[in-house]
Amino acid sequence: MTHDHQGSTTGEEPDTRRFEELALPHLKALYRLAFRLIGDATAAEDLVQETYLKAFQSFGSLRSDDSIRPWLFQILSRLATDRYRSTRREVPLEEAGDLDRFSLYNQIADEDPFPYSNRLHDDFLGQFQDDDVRRALAALPEVYRIPVVLVYTEEMSYQELAEVLGCPLGTVMSRLYRGRKTLERELWECAKRRGLVKTWNR
Amino acid sequence: MNRMSCEQAMRQFYAYLDHALSGERLAELNDHLKACLDCCDKLQFSRQLDGFVKSRLGDEPLPEGIEARIRKELASEASFPGNGKKE
Repeated sequence: MTHDHQGSTTGEEPDTRRFEELALPHLKALYRLAFRLIGDATAAEDLVQETYLKAFQSFGSLRSDDSIRPWLFQILSRLATDRYRSTRREVPLEEAGDLDRFSLYNQIADEDPFPYSNRLHDDFLGQFQDDDVRRALAALPEVYRIPVVLVYTEEMSYQELAEVLGCPLGTVMSRLYRGRKTLERELWECAKRRGLVKTWNR
Repeated sequence: MNRMSCEQAMRQFYAYLDHALSGERLAELNDHLKACLDCCDKLQFSRQLDGFVKSRLGDEPLPEGIEARIRKELASEASFPGNGKKE
């Protein structure tokens, strides 16, 4: 019934100031991730507040000050997974073989949506609005979206990602690969849905 | 000795762009790229796509007053442990 304790020793006032000094510098980055995961400012703030509260309550379990960043991201990621996963539209996880066979580069070259262009791939990317890209990213299965967002917005290393996700480096690598391949496919599907490219039925 | 296929090479592109390859894997990919122009083009597109997505994500401004609200909540939790909203 009792919650985790914020201090490492009993009978002491929790070290609120030390926690704030360590944890609050990461507020902007945590909010960025929360927003990318949820897509709604109010819900993102709630998630960030909850993350800080939970982190504060578990402060004693932080291994070292150096681990604060991945630790906070881990708490936020787990809360997000628990609370919000079922409310989102996600593209289904695909078999690795199907993903391997899809290449946006090849797709653009094969379908040739801009027949008179000598900058085919540039022209393709130039069609998208910011919101298209955000929506494509938001549609990634969460298992991919979290590492992909962290690499894109926080430039996190694979080692740090392994701490956040609680998985081995090889798994980080494979999730980032599959996540980006899924994103490639989503961009192609988005282009088709929005009529940004004309595809030829062969 | 190096006989990395194009498919194998392509599977490493994103890790390469994230500077997450080293040692033998990196050397094998570099050898492949030296001999395969097609893969060089594809790698260049992956790089371009990465930069494109990053640039389109933009930044989310922090909601005004969020830090003060968090500090207040932490102070309240410190005074009355367990009263906060969670599990």
